[in-house]
Amino acid sequence: MLHRLRFIPGRLVQSIPVAFGVTLIVFLLAHLLPGNAALALLGERATEQSVAALTAQLGLDEPLWRQYLLFLRQLVHGDLGTSLTYQTPVTQLVLQAIPVTLSLLLYALLLALVISVPLAALAAFRPGGARDLGVRGFTLLGQGMPQFWVGIMLILLLGVSLRAFPVGGYGEGALAHLYYLFLPAATLAIAMSPTIIRSLRSSMISVLGSEYVGTAKMKGAAGVQLFRGHVLRNAAIPTVSIVGVNLGYLVGGSLVIERVFALPGLGSLMINSIFTRDFPTIQGVTLFVALFVVVVGILTDVVYTALDPRVDLSRTARA
Amino acid sequence: MRRRFGVVGALALTMALALGGCGAADDGGSGTAAGGAPVKGGDLVMARSADIISMDKTTTFDNNSIRVMEQIMEPLFHSSADGTKVEPWLATGYTISPDGLTYTIPLRKDVVFSDGTPMTAEDVKFSIDEDTKTGAAGWGFINAAIDSVEATDDSTVTIKLKYAWAPLIADLSLFSNGVIPVDYGGKTAEEFYAAPVGTGPYVWESWTKGQSLKLTANTKYWQKGKPYLSSVQWNVVPDANTRKLQVQGGQIDIDDTPDWSSLASLKSAPGVNAQTFPSTQIDYVAFNQTRAPFDDVHVRRAISYAIDRQAMVKAVLFGNGEVANSLLSPGTPYYDENAGGATLDVAKAKAELAQSSKPGGFSTTLLIASGNPNQASVAQILQSELKDIGITMEIKQLDPTANKKARLASDFDMTLSAWTMDIPDPDQWTSFAVDPTGGSKSAFTSYDNPEVVDLNKQAQRETDSAKRQQLYSQLQQKTSEDAFLAYLYYSPYVYASTDKVKGFSVTPLGGYLLQDVYKTE
Repeated sequence: MLHRLRFIPGRLVQSIPVAFGVTLIVFLLAHLLPGNAALALLGERATEQSVAALTAQLGLDEPLWRQYLLFLRQLVHGDLGTSLTYQTPVTQLVLQAIPVTLSLLLYALLLALVISVPLAALAAFRPGGARDLGVRGFTLLGQGMPQFWVGIMLILLLGVSLRAFPVGGYGEGALAHLYYLFLPAATLAIAMSPTIIRSLRSSMISVLGSEYVGTAKMKGAAGVQLFRGHVLRNAAIPTVSIVGVNLGYLVGGSLVIERVFALPGLGSLMINSIFTRDFPTIQGVTLFVALFVVVVGILTDVVYTALDPRVDLSRTARA
Repeated sequence: MRRRFGVVGALALTMALALGGCGAADDGGSGTAAGGAPVKGGDLVMARSADIISMDKTTTFDNNSIRVMEQIMEPLFHSSADGTKVEPWLATGYTISPDGLTYTIPLRKDVVFSDGTPMTAEDVKFSIDEDTKTGAAGWGFINAAIDSVEATDDSTVTIKLKYAWAPLIADLSLFSNGVIPVDYGGKTAEEFYAAPVGTGPYVWESWTKGQSLKLTANTKYWQKGKPYLSSVQWNVVPDANTRKLQVQGGQIDIDDTPDWSSLASLKSAPGVNAQTFPSTQIDYVAFNQTRAPFDDVHVRRAISYAIDRQAMVKAVLFGNGEVANSLLSPGTPYYDENAGGATLDVAKAKAELAQSSKPGGFSTTLLIASGNPNQASVAQILQSELKDIGITMEIKQLDPTANKKARLASDFDMTLSAWTMDIPDPDQWTSFAVDPTGGSKSAFTSYDNPEVVDLNKQAQRETDSAKRQQLYSQLQQKTSEDAFLAYLYYSPYVYASTDKVKGFSVTPLGGYLLQDVYKTE
């Protein structure tokens, strides 16, 4: 098993130029936007003089290339710079936001699997039947509804009418986080599950029709044992890569959801820093999100390798 | 059906957690009050769209920060509840020398900072000097008339002026002149403002950036028995809809800016109070006089007459506001209701245009901030109204910072903007609006009428209230005639709270005094 994970260091090295490319693009895009942080910070009542003074103080009057070089120099030293809005290290802001986003994504993934695996199995055991149709209807509906709308509906039903869950916020302490994050995680899970259900359903159908399942059945395997040992494990392989790709998209979706649910994660940090033209924070958050997507890619391959003994990515990488 | 256990089980588990959470969270206010005596204790939670930026009172311009610092650091004087007068606060009054150049200010003797040290004249001198020193990058301009501040004795401060300056007492009521311990209590400015100490009703507790900020009650507050609340917390909730649902769900106590569109539904929601408070806000169209044809007074008047302000109040504010008829708002001292601002009169509009350099009409643009639904509605109404008198207007949207940059560079034809006062004296706004050297080129319009500039300067030096009223009335009439801005409407402040919140009110300057607020069960 271990020798098949030799691809990881190579992948990590490859991700370094990717990260630098991302910083350059984000830096240029952010600086091409008209307006600067001094204007955003000072607001409506500031005079021309105060805007000029703050612009100079923040170093925004320096040439663009020098600002980028400064950013890179800091980055090499593991320093993401100082937030223009808060005048604190960006690393500190990002590290404070990461647990929120990460726990939201993991929670969403968990809920998505809790929804998807039983529904996919329900549909796959009798394709074309009433249950299958029902599940497929659910996937259509789930894909058609915009995430923020699902979020608002869940808030209205479970938050305001039943008062069972808080409408936004993160709470204090692990149990409170679990409770506060339920609605946003469920929203993301509802958006994510249709893709997983479809993929799992079709691979389950083909696995159920395969010879080895027939053999296993003849050997006496049935019920949960058959499902777990033979069907799910084999049907899960293509789904793992789909989940991996979807996690990348989910990071994008969480930007919207974090805003709707007032969660202090990377998404909120990103949106706020865009509004206030807080360039170092925009760069820092983007860099982290890019690295996250790279890491999820690698993890997907790890799970893939673990599930399917025939896969050896270190060999294909060398070929 | 039995196979659905996964989903149902997960829901049941989370419901159980939810119920547990509800029980644990409920440790709020104590005691009972049947609308009578204030209740001691309880934690107030407010939600608002953005976080604070900094607690440095001398260089911070955003309202979110200002509302918090006002609870911690107090100035010598305070705006009256109706915003029209200045009242003694940490000072007990003031006397002016006959030449109008020396102000003697006695201080209250029972005031201590939240760390227990008594407040003295030295602290006041340090605080005012600190503000003055910030110069161009901060609020220092407000103290421009001050020559020197002296601590005459422990409880008297003497301020000498460079020239007679009527708005002085109002300027001293600005948060940037709030009183802090001399030499920052032995800290650096940066260390001090990371956890500021003042004489206010609340004490700095904690700040999780981008998430929430908490203050706790100052047990040594000079107003005995106050504050009532144990703590106040501000949560950052950017989405207006989420804030509305949170106050409806009882998760927060106050939503600090509900949408105008949601006001009616909030008013009818059970357990929710949606309240409006008079403000000093004026929304207006600014004409760029460096560009033709807006250097022509007839063009500006034509547009001013063409606007149906009542329709805007209805469409934008859902009826919660008033038509604007003066440069000053009704909540500002020396407001003159007969200032003669233009009202809808299409015949007059057409007649003015006929007299102008563009009798046959023209094409122009209106700059608005993107993502601002109010400005978008105003722009669309304006567009159709100007079309009626032969002016084709294109709406140009730029995001707020780019919009500000365009205005600083005079790169616009017409633009929408608004102003609110920070002190109970009209000077802050009139100097910004009509004096080309007093702010940003007369509120970005480059309007320059020597007669009006002179009236403004006279009013700055006139300490007699009746004479000042005359000067400001003249100023309001002249600016209405010149139509350098087209006044649109006065909008109130709006807050939604649960019905447990009592004693909450907002001055026309936008500040609120949380020492008077309490929560019932």
